[in-house]
Amino acid sequence: MARQQGWFALVLALAIAAAALLFTSPLQLGLDLRGGSQITVEVQPAGEIKRVVPEQMEAVKLVLDRRVNGLGVAESTLQTVGENQLVLQLPGEQDPSRAARILGSTALLEFRALKLGAEQDFKSLRQLRAQTKAILRLRADQAKRGELSDQSGLDLEELAEAQKLFGLEGASGTETEQLEQLLAKVNDAIVELYEPAALTGKDLVTAGRQPLQSNPNSWEVTLGFNSAGAEAFAELTKSIAGTGRLLGIVLDGRSISEASVGPQFKAAGISGGSASISGNFTAEEARELEVQLRGGSLPLPVKVLEVRTIGPTLGAENIRRSLVAALSGLALVAVFMVLAYRLPGVVAVMALSLYSLFNLAVYALIPVTLTLPGIAGFILSIGMAVDANVLIFERIKDELRSGNTLIRSIDTGFSEAFSSIVDGHLTTLISCAALFFLGTGLVKGFAATLGIGVLLSLFTALTCTRTLLRFLMSYAALRKPLNFLPSRQLPSPSV
Amino acid sequence: MAVSTSASETPSGQRPVWPLSSMRARVWIVSGVVVLVSLIGLGLSWRDASIGAPLRPGLDFTGGTQIQLERDCGESCADLRAIQVSELLRGLELPEEPGEPLPNLSAPRVQLLDGGTSLLLRLPTLSAAQGQAVIEAVTSVAGPFIAGGQSVETIGPSLGGQLLRSSLISLLVAFAGIATYITIRYDRRYAFLALVALAHDVIIVCGVFAWLGLLLQLEVDSLFAVALLTIAGYSVNDTVVVFDRIRERSRQDVELTLRQQVDLAVSATLTRTLYTSGTTLMPLLALIFFGGSTLYWFAIALALGVIVGSWSSIALAPSLLTLWEPSSD
Repeated sequence: MARQQGWFALVLALAIAAAALLFTSPLQLGLDLRGGSQITVEVQPAGEIKRVVPEQMEAVKLVLDRRVNGLGVAESTLQTVGENQLVLQLPGEQDPSRAARILGSTALLEFRALKLGAEQDFKSLRQLRAQTKAILRLRADQAKRGELSDQSGLDLEELAEAQKLFGLEGASGTETEQLEQLLAKVNDAIVELYEPAALTGKDLVTAGRQPLQSNPNSWEVTLGFNSAGAEAFAELTKSIAGTGRLLGIVLDGRSISEASVGPQFKAAGISGGSASISGNFTAEEARELEVQLRGGSLPLPVKVLEVRTIGPTLGAENIRRSLVAALSGLALVAVFMVLAYRLPGVVAVMALSLYSLFNLAVYALIPVTLTLPGIAGFILSIGMAVDANVLIFERIKDELRSGNTLIRSIDTGFSEAFSSIVDGHLTTLISCAALFFLGTGLVKGFAATLGIGVLLSLFTALTCTRTLLRFLMSYAALRKPLNFLPSRQLPSPSV
Repeated sequence: MAVSTSASETPSGQRPVWPLSSMRARVWIVSGVVVLVSLIGLGLSWRDASIGAPLRPGLDFTGGTQIQLERDCGESCADLRAIQVSELLRGLELPEEPGEPLPNLSAPRVQLLDGGTSLLLRLPTLSAAQGQAVIEAVTSVAGPFIAGGQSVETIGPSLGGQLLRSSLISLLVAFAGIATYITIRYDRRYAFLALVALAHDVIIVCGVFAWLGLLLQLEVDSLFAVALLTIAGYSVNDTVVVFDRIRERSRQDVELTLRQQVDLAVSATLTRTLYTSGTTLMPLLALIFFGGSTLYWFAIALALGVIVGSWSSIALAPSLLTLWEPSSD
């Protein structure tokens, strides 16, 4: 009995932990349940690139990621699916055309010279940008350490003035959001100061990075152009060499780097088709820039494959309907089990409730994003989870009918049913594994929820049902074969 | 205990509730006819010029734009017929997209769902602006619509092909895995028959949907692919439990013929199979009646699979097993 109590305590503890988990970390709902947009894009090979490799995917994803952040949708996710697809989810977004348009265009890298006479404006804007970035960095640091103070030592007044200048006074949002808005405005203003592009990323062939010889802690990013690019680059650098006008490197309309060109290039410009950008980069910053440049320099076209938008009301309606279906389905099963199996039926209902609880807790833990088919899979798995209980109880009935004692019948019932339960579950798990590792999208998600259900059903059937049944058997009042079988089915005492 | 001496009674006096082997011919005829009718449906669908595939492919496989709108009229929606909407769409002038040909709206598919409160439009691929133009036009005859109650899905055709391919590959790998497992745990006969039962179930469900596609223009979507995969898993699970009993019998009652062993084993698991199918069907019925239009056909496909799967595991697969008995009859 002590062993039974140990198991009982374990099941109880697990149930409490699962309930606590569900309270603290809510389930993630898919877009079909909460409303929003989902966009699937495919990165396509172009020109000399016949197949998209993971590195190119990463470069494209980085570019897209920044564009997505620019959309300003909270909790957006961008995931790589398969070899060459990206799925972007935008909860709450009801205008997917904007997102699709931004994602669908390719990354654009441009080299642009500063306009004549714009040096002074540029200088102050650059200073403002540095300051804004510094405050943002400071705030991020503070948030990480969990403290917030105004001892930043930065000129907040000047910043407020700048916000006014860009028409951002009284802007909504947190301080960070306001600063980010300001940063975007400043970036736009900086780009305004450039001449049209003299050279674009389509002529960039390579991008790399290396530590500076003079200071190994500082990195530079190297660029290599094709012949047309080399010519244009020489021409561009020649025109601004020694003038104090800077060379701006603009990626997707954002100035990512500015370089000056020394007077020694006055005669022929920087020739040879290679250049380097040194901007006091750390190793990580240089890597990022390199990847960004590759994203720009390898303008793989992105094709929008699928756009789905679900209105929030429709999502809520979907939730309501599947809840009604789930609850009424469960109620039907519960009534049936109690009618068919009496006391064990009650135990099965308890085990099934535990199964549902554990299942949802695992969804919250992993986390599994719950979608409409996912809910259907869950509802279905409840029906299948009953199977293990039915197998066991049928065996117990068989044993009771053949005249075995109650406790013996229960034990034999479990051991006899064991092999069918394991075989049935394992074959389903095999197909789940195949579907999960080879399937895509919907199929993969469904396989995951079904697989979790199968594993949990194995656990609850073999431990929870047994533990609860044995626990109840410790009460003499419940220890009657009549609680298991109608009297007409019991063997007569004389046998 | 019954004292009658029926033909199917075993020497030990056990009498199967379900004397399967004495009616195996009838079981095979029933299964054979249903499979044949299903194959005819799949074939007709393939021959049909407007379908050209064993099943009528939905938006997920062909690509296009699907717009769903929830009407804002509570319980009493003004009468609306699908034909009104499709006529309106036929005459609609869509805004042009630079560099793209105008989508052909001559054959829009319009369905009224949930008792006329919800409207489903299937159209060729539209741009966002064109989709908006469609919604605005439809508002004039069917509106107003609930704000936030609309869904617009535009799907490229390559995604569907990919889904089909990956589902088929993973299904084949799953079959191979299951066959290997059953061969190791049981033997080749069982593995083969489990796959026969599985094919039987999948063909019948596909066949029913092929006929529905021919008669009701019902299309299959990616949810149907998911349903088929689930049915495959359920079917094998169900069959394996019966096989487990047969194997147990064949060890216990070695003096019995294979037919008798099969009859007793199937009878012993009969209640279990019927109960399990019943408890799986209950939530599915709840989904069919309360789940709304999105999951309606998905739940029907699954329910059908559960029913056919039970039949194949208590009748078809075990009765085929008796074919291996040397001197039958």
